[in-house]
Amino acid sequence: MSGHGGAKKTASTRAIQALSLLVTFGVLYGVTRVTPELESHLGTVAAIGFLLLAGTLMSELLETIGLPHLSGYLAAGIVGGPHVLHLVDHHTVQELSPINTLALSLIALAGGAELRLATVRSVARSLAWATLIQSLMVLVCMSGVFLVMSRFLPFTQGMTFKALIGVSLLWGVLAVSRSPSACLGILSQTRAKGPLATFSLAFIMFSDVVVVILLATTMMLARPLITPGGSISFEDFNVLGHEILGSIAVGVTLGLGLSIYLRLVGRQLLLVLLAIGFGLSDTFAYIHVDSLLAFLAAGFVVQNLSDQGEKLLHAIEQTGSVVFVVFFATAGAHLDIPLLKRLWPIAVTLCASRALLTVIAGRISGRIAQDEPLLKRWGWSSLVSQAGLALGLSVVIIKAFPSLGEEFRSLCIAGIAINEMLGPILFKFALDRAGETDTHAPEVRPSLAPPAP
Amino acid sequence: MNAIAFLLGLLVLSYVGSILVGGRTIRGFGLASGAEYLVLGFVLGPQALSVVNRSLLDTFQPVVLVGVSWLGLVLGVSYLRVGLRKVPWQHALLGIALSAVVSACVSAAVLFSAERFTKLPRLELVAFAAVAGLVCSETTRHSVRWIAERHGAKGPLSDLSADTARASALFSCVSLAIVNAWLPGAALPTFSVLGRVGVSLGLGVVLGFTAALLLGREFRRDESWGILLGTSLLGTGAAARLNLSPISTTFAMGLTLALVSRHRLDIKAMVTPTEKPVLLPVILLAGAYVNVKLPAMLLVLVAAALIVKIAARVLCGAALAATVPAARNVGLELGAGMLSSGALGLAVALAFVVRHPGVVSDAVLLLAALGVLVGEWLGPGALRRALTLAGEIKVEEPPAVDAARPSLETRG
Repeated sequence: MSGHGGAKKTASTRAIQALSLLVTFGVLYGVTRVTPELESHLGTVAAIGFLLLAGTLMSELLETIGLPHLSGYLAAGIVGGPHVLHLVDHHTVQELSPINTLALSLIALAGGAELRLATVRSVARSLAWATLIQSLMVLVCMSGVFLVMSRFLPFTQGMTFKALIGVSLLWGVLAVSRSPSACLGILSQTRAKGPLATFSLAFIMFSDVVVVILLATTMMLARPLITPGGSISFEDFNVLGHEILGSIAVGVTLGLGLSIYLRLVGRQLLLVLLAIGFGLSDTFAYIHVDSLLAFLAAGFVVQNLSDQGEKLLHAIEQTGSVVFVVFFATAGAHLDIPLLKRLWPIAVTLCASRALLTVIAGRISGRIAQDEPLLKRWGWSSLVSQAGLALGLSVVIIKAFPSLGEEFRSLCIAGIAINEMLGPILFKFALDRAGETDTHAPEVRPSLAPPAP
Repeated sequence: MNAIAFLLGLLVLSYVGSILVGGRTIRGFGLASGAEYLVLGFVLGPQALSVVNRSLLDTFQPVVLVGVSWLGLVLGVSYLRVGLRKVPWQHALLGIALSAVVSACVSAAVLFSAERFTKLPRLELVAFAAVAGLVCSETTRHSVRWIAERHGAKGPLSDLSADTARASALFSCVSLAIVNAWLPGAALPTFSVLGRVGVSLGLGVVLGFTAALLLGREFRRDESWGILLGTSLLGTGAAARLNLSPISTTFAMGLTLALVSRHRLDIKAMVTPTEKPVLLPVILLAGAYVNVKLPAMLLVLVAAALIVKIAARVLCGAALAATVPAARNVGLELGAGMLSSGALGLAVALAFVVRHPGVVSDAVLLLAALGVLVGEWLGPGALRRALTLAGEIKVEEPPAVDAARPSLETRG
């Protein structure tokens, strides 16, 4: 993700960007109209180029009205995606899943590397209270809201009250999940530094682990409520314990290995990160290790047990400047706009309730933890975004409870879509208001070009 | 072997490639054309050990496409300069003319033989002859660079060799655009062949201008990567979707950047180090794609094309010796020295395999691969001899024996 700030862009620069965006859309529009039926790898190559270029340009143009770059990437994906201009079709969006795997691994690595032990200690009290209150309050209250709203949902009609409680609890867990990718995306773009940025990052990374545990617990409790004849099985905890400990162990090993490489060799980090992102993600899935947690642990080890953290972060930023654009633009293309149109009243109500509860929980935890006024006021702002993690959890729930069907998943997607679009805007707004965004120009490489006459 | 393992293997190869161009480099290390990776690819491929099977290769077709197109971009961006030195237009024209002559000789020979000795349909026959000529027309600039860096060659003949080798890329890239536009299956059926060639190259020019405009006044490396990758991938994908020539599109894009961008040197400095890391996996994939189980007549044609290529290069060398002062007295050696081929020839052949799969494209790829091996065998040695004869490589005298030191005889 390109850095924020830099020299003020003139009107002519913006005009060039707008013109280039038109050319980008025009080229792919023309090509897809000439060869509309093509579903092959060739479409994928063009789609990656289009998403990268259109995402970059759209983010630059939306920056003029104060929107974060991430919104620009999403907007490019939505406009070019299967539901608007159909420049990138469903098949191509599916084909881009390896990019998502790579991006998520980089996000987790960067997330871990951003967590410096000293700074985590400095917000430990706030973190503990916020985690407790945000998790419990959002989980319980959103379950209640869902229960009340269930009478308007077609797929809950005919369910027993017990089953409704089970489904509501699952919805509550989904509401607790946040978006590490959106948080890191905004922090990377704005280069924000300060208590709000530190707290948000630490909270979101920590909440990943909390959500995984909460989900397992809730699924264990919901099973006898939703599935007739189902019973509570502590075996789930056994499996979960193994997975979490295994992930941390693997992550620590990877982190130590990376630290040694960075210290002894320290070159070609782009290729090393690609190999880790593509190769290890699949290996982790095969050995039932949670890749997000493992990469998080690896990044944390590099930052806190070696002096190579900055080098790793710099390498991830360089690689991510391309990968993250495609990742978020693909997420935009993935948004099911017709579904959103159909379910928007319920989805908006649920999202608004979640946002409101997040704000209230943030204020309460801030007061209890005696946070500084800035955190009391804006501490909640990064917690509205949802993206890949929430989508992943919804898939896990559907797999475990197939009786909930596609409509439950559709509602999840609709809700996540709204949070995905609005959350980053809120967070950037809060960082700007808190005065934590960097206003210094990013490093400009000295040009080899001869000076203009 | 599964796709992830193979991808990791390719990344390792990229890593090796990046070491070869890195800071503490072993410049002049390995073979000039990368022939060893070609052989490795063949050994791992479906024709030998079958570690990499055909379906896996098909999965990696987009990687091939992106790799060869990126090479096109690198060639375009660095077309006008060798290092920081501009290529004189006379040398560029000479390089293009030499490529055209060699290509024409090989094409004519293949067409003549194939018409008489094979029963290929007319279309296949012409396509075979045309692309066979193209893959033989290149002289890899790596060979010249390899000699220069290993032996410290410097002088007018070194410059001439480097310039003509660099200039030969234009002929292959533009001609491939014509062949792809002419072959059946191209989109835009209402367009003439010339129109489709215009779309192939025009797309690259438009994207090149777009990238140049976006790179704007100040040069930021992070943003520049996004713009360069975005425009080149868009151009590659768009040209491939239209069944045109992606390598020609990206070459045109690179050349446009080299001509109009005020950051042409920055861009060249950015993309040139990526060449080797992209090149080695592409050469390995090319090796894996090579199919030697072809009809006997096609194998004979491939051998004939190779012989004609050698003869044409030697004759070109002789012609150079007669007309260019720097090449006087070294004509034959220079001609043979310009036999080295590599990345571009293989890239053109690979692009043809993707665009027009079948025995004819397999024969073209085999010709390109054999061209690399034969070129590697004859080329660098001949070029070194030519440069030594021209006095541009200093032959080091063996260290003088110290008279005061007792000889073995006296000691014994």
